[in-house]
Order: sequence, then C-alpha cells, then structure tokens
Amino acid sequence: MKRIDIAARAGRSLRQAKARTLLTSLAIAVGAFTLTLSLAAGEGSRQYADKLIASNVDEQSLFIAKDAALFGEGGSQFGGSGLSEYDPDAATRGNVTFKQLTAADIEAIRAVKGIKEIQPLYQVAIKYIKFEGKDTRYTSEVSTYGAGIVSETLVGSLPGRGEQIADGDIVIPEAYLETLGVKDASSMLGKSVAVTVGRTSSSVTSEQLAQAFASGGVEAAAALAQPEEKQFIYKVRAVTKQSATALASSSSVLIAPSQMKAISEFVTQGTAGFQKYMAATAIVNDGTDPATVKAVLEQKGYPTQTAKDLQSLIFTIVNILQGIVIGFAALALIASVFGIINTQYISVLERTQQIGLMKALGMSGRDIAKLFRYEAAWIGFLGGLIGSLLAFVIGTAVNPWVTEQLSLGEGNSLLIFQLIPIVILIVSLMVIAMVAGYFPSRKAAKLDPIEALRTE
Amino acid sequence: MIEVKAITKTYGKSKNAFKALDNVSFTIPTGTSVGILGRSGSGKSTLMHAVSGLDKPESGEVIIDGQNILELNQKAVDQFRARTIGFIFQSFFVQPNETVEYNVSLPLEIAEVPTARRTQKIDAALEAVDLSDKKNSKARNLSGGQKQRLAIARAIVNEPSIIFADEPTGNLDSTTGQKIEDLLFDYNRRKGVTLIIVTHDEELARRCDMIINVKDGKIESVKEPAELKV
Repeated sequence: MKRIDIAARAGRSLRQAKARTLLTSLAIAVGAFTLTLSLAAGEGSRQYADKLIASNVDEQSLFIAKDAALFGEGGSQFGGSGLSEYDPDAATRGNVTFKQLTAADIEAIRAVKGIKEIQPLYQVAIKYIKFEGKDTRYTSEVSTYGAGIVSETLVGSLPGRGEQIADGDIVIPEAYLETLGVKDASSMLGKSVAVTVGRTSSSVTSEQLAQAFASGGVEAAAALAQPEEKQFIYKVRAVTKQSATALASSSSVLIAPSQMKAISEFVTQGTAGFQKYMAATAIVNDGTDPATVKAVLEQKGYPTQTAKDLQSLIFTIVNILQGIVIGFAALALIASVFGIINTQYISVLERTQQIGLMKALGMSGRDIAKLFRYEAAWIGFLGGLIGSLLAFVIGTAVNPWVTEQLSLGEGNSLLIFQLIPIVILIVSLMVIAMVAGYFPSRKAAKLDPIEALRTE
Repeated sequence: MIEVKAITKTYGKSKNAFKALDNVSFTIPTGTSVGILGRSGSGKSTLMHAVSGLDKPESGEVIIDGQNILELNQKAVDQFRARTIGFIFQSFFVQPNETVEYNVSLPLEIAEVPTARRTQKIDAALEAVDLSDKKNSKARNLSGGQKQRLAIARAIVNEPSIIFADEPTGNLDSTTGQKIEDLLFDYNRRKGVTLIIVTHDEELARRCDMIINVKDGKIESVKEPAELKV
C-alpha cells in the first residue's frame, strides 16, 4: 500500500474519533505551547542581549585584566585557605584578592601589535558634585567617556566614534534632570559642574607636622592632617538620552579619560593603589580580529575577554534559563507520549475487525503498523500545530505588555517567534508521536486475521 | 483451477491436539461455483482460510493456477490475496465510518492500483451491485442488504479470479438473502469467476455447481458438477 493512501486513511480514521484525537493531541499541545514560548523567549533574550552589547560595547574592544579570577575563571584566590602570599600589586575586594595591572603592564599591552589604544579602568569615588546655580551637593558616579560607542543625546552633541570629548567637557545623563528639577534640558548646556574629590594626607611626614605646629599651632597641624580636597570644574557638553539598552551612561556623569586619570591619581597618590588598575579596556585596530590580539595578550599573561566573549557569557545565562523551561516542557511531552500509547492501544482494540479485514484483503503487517504510526504522527502534528499556534497568538497578544513590564525599551520584545524552529518543533513532535505509536502499531501488525474476523 | 492435496491442520498441542482438517483433498475447476457445506465446528471455515492463504496447514498442498501458495512467503501470500481473491463475510465487515466509495477503494489501495484507474473501477463495482447512488454515503447508514452489496462490490472491485463468501446470507432476511445469492451467482456466471460459498444452508449449497460436504475435519462427500446436472 502506498504511503499517501495509508496517510489519508490514518487521517480519516482520526477524524472519525474527533474527541479522542483532540484530547490526545491537547496533551502534546501543552508541551508544544511551552516549547514554542521558551524558544521565542530565548530568541528574544538573545537578540536583546545582542543589542545591549552592541550599544554599550565596541566590538573591537578587549577587556584585559591581570587576574583571570576577574572573569570568573581559574581564580586561584577564590575560596583558598584564606592565607596567601602578599603581593604589593594585588587589591582585595571583599574576601577575594585580585592581581592588578600596573603602569608597566599598561605600557606592555600598549606595545602589542594591533592595539590602537588602551585605557585603564579608573575607579574613583568622588565626594560630591555641584551643578551651577544649585547649592545642593549631590553624590554621583563618575565614569570614563567611552569613545567606542556614541550615545544618543537629548541636547548638545558628542564627537564621532573613536574621538574623545575635550578635557573640560562633562556629559550628564537624562535621569539627573529630574533630580535637579530641570525642565528644559538645553538650559543645562554650557553650565559648569564642579566635581570634588578628597584624599587622606598620608604623605604628611612628622617633620611637616612639627613645622606646621610650630608656625600655626594646633589648627595648622589639624588642617594639614585633614583630608585634602580638590575641585575639578567642567562644562556640560551634552545630556544623553535615557536608553533601555545603554548601561553605563544611565547613572553616572562622563568625563574624558585624561581627567579620570588626573582624578584617580590625585585620590590614590601615596597609597598602594596608585597607578594600579583592576582592568583595562583596549581598542583593537579596525580590520584586526580582536580574537588574535586576545591570543597574544593571554600568552603574555593577561587574561582577556573580547566583546564576543561577553556576549557568550550572557548567552550562557539565557541558555541555562531556557534549558530549565525546555526541561519542564519535555516532562509534559513525556506525559503526552503515554497518552498516545494508551489511545492507540485502545484504538487497536476497537478496530480489531477492521485490522483483520485489511489483513485478509492482503494488507501487509508492515502497512498496518504504518497506518497506526501515521495516525500517531497526525496526532503529534495536530498537537504541535495547536500548541505553537496558541503560543504564537497569546505570545503576540501579551508581548507589548510583557515588554513594557520588563522595561526592555522601544523596539525590543521579549518574545520573538521564528518559523523555522517552530517547523522543526512540529516535525520533532511528529517523530516523538510515531515513536510512541510504535508499540500499539506492532500489536496491530501482529494481529491474527482469523482471530480478528471470528464472528460471535 | 484450485487443487487441494491432503491438507491437515491441527490446533493445540499433544493431548489437546484437535484436527480441524484431516487429510482433505479436492479439485475445483476454474469458473465453478462451489458450496462448502457443513455444521459449525465441522472445519469448513478452516478449509476456507487454508485455501485462501489466511491460514497455513502443516502438511499438504494448495495449488492455485499451478502455484502452491503454502510455499510462498508472507509478502507473496499477501500479494496473492490482494490480486486474486475477494472476500465476503457473514457480518459484512464494512467500515461503518468510511463512505461507500472509500470502503470499495480499500482493496485497490492495498493492491496499489494507480489512483487514476481507481474511480472507474469503483464506479463499475458499485454499478454491478446497484449502489451507485450511495457512493458518498457513510456505510453505517446503509441497510443490511445494502451493506452486503457493498461488501460484494469491495470483493469484486479488483476483478479477482476467486471469490470466497462465508455465510453471505447468514445475517439477512430471506428476501434480501435471495437477492444477494442471485447477485453472486450472476457475477460468477457472467465473469467466469470461481465462487466458493461456505455455508450450513443446504438450499444455498444446492444452487452451486459443486458441493463439498465437510464433517469433523474430513470430506464426507463431493458432488461434482457432472453429478449435479444429472
């Protein structure tokens, strides 16, 4: 018997038992529904992560550290005995000790072929920040302006990609305007911003103290020992737009690297942290593959991550979450497999005479088995179709709401449905259903036609 | 021509062994109508199963048109049944949820007759049993007589050379049964098809060219066509 005739008969006999067919396939539909949604959510998250990285990280950039532990790999200092050799270049964060990059390291990296520029990661805590025309002192984070990515501005303008802002410039985020009570963003342009930093005068010697005491008494000595303060003045160059996918610019003011360096060196002068950096960002020459430069750097003993590595890190998290959901869907599918086996066994029992007749008419056992397997495949197809269609309709309907709730921002959506994975899903469900239909179909194939046709 | 040579079929083992067919031999010329007559349990159904290749006797030969079908493998036996044999059963065994057309189409699909030629064959078979107007009805909506006519259409659609009918009128009232009998014998005569009717109804058997009397798995008597005509 030809496959197409068997498939047509299988389809017709399912239509004749509509309720049973529908109920059996609904069990599969539950699994298909969950799988379709998790596939869509996975795709959505990956695309979102992609955008997130693309709008925050220059793909030509490298992240370089001295200690692999910073990237969560091979961190010898993690969970150690608590007693480890002292390293003057190491920094301690919590219980973890990291080796740091020194100025010499930065120079060594700068010398590597293919590196266009390198910037140490300056970590500065400022005391406060003051805006022109406001008496209030605010706390704020200060970060380095990244030339690799050009953010959208609300007002003002930023230089093109790869170019830095001037030393006297400062860029403030849109979010600050609300706190400052500024309605007209353009009024901020050109206003001066004073960043005040402080350091403890550890460099004061007892000799200097004695001198100050001699000349100015207790007050002069106290003033000398008090934390020194320094003000850096900048002019607002631009206000960056709040962007759902921008990370860095959303909560800190941005200044040029040279200024960051100046502040950092002022703050750390005389301390162990002077010119020591947790990490550095380097930009690779256009046309050079960051991965090749990474290989060179790692050989020299600098653990490095490319933008792609960062991406795969985020993808790993997405994949794990997706894997969990898929695991649950798989459980639902296993349950539905038993449903199919059960239904098909009942169907074989119900149709004993029909099977007997078909065999008497010369239909081979193999074709009979095929008939029942194809029926199972139809059930799988129907279940897959119902499940994925339902997921698509419901997903599309709630997508805008979910996207808003998660504040993913304009143009992003959590669920992204793609045709090919859904088609693959449905085909796999048909295969699974056919495997489930194997045992009942074998029972049908082995039926003795004489027994089956015996009339009572 | 059908030649049955010394077939024996035993059910069960050792002590419980029961000989359903015991050394049965006979010959049926092509185009003959044959009545296999016997009470229930006499072995007449087993005989039909053995001759049609549904069952395998442990010894003997069933030679149909020169071919011993007991020597064929399962696939060849299936093909042999699909191409040369039509079956009619007491309980019709039509598929109630399928339409008349799809019921008749089944043997054609099994014999892998090309789709293009099926419609014409189905129409001819339905015409022969006068069911043309019911082509698209569901089989469950037919009366008993119509169902058996549908079964006949299904048996003849692929133009078999042998038709087996197992108590074809057993579930029908006498008037309807009479019509079915007429239909079968008429087809047998017009097409020269060998018709083998298994029955316990002597009256029906007497309408056949040849009667084989079966009792306790043995042939009690064979009335050849020549004897009957006298």
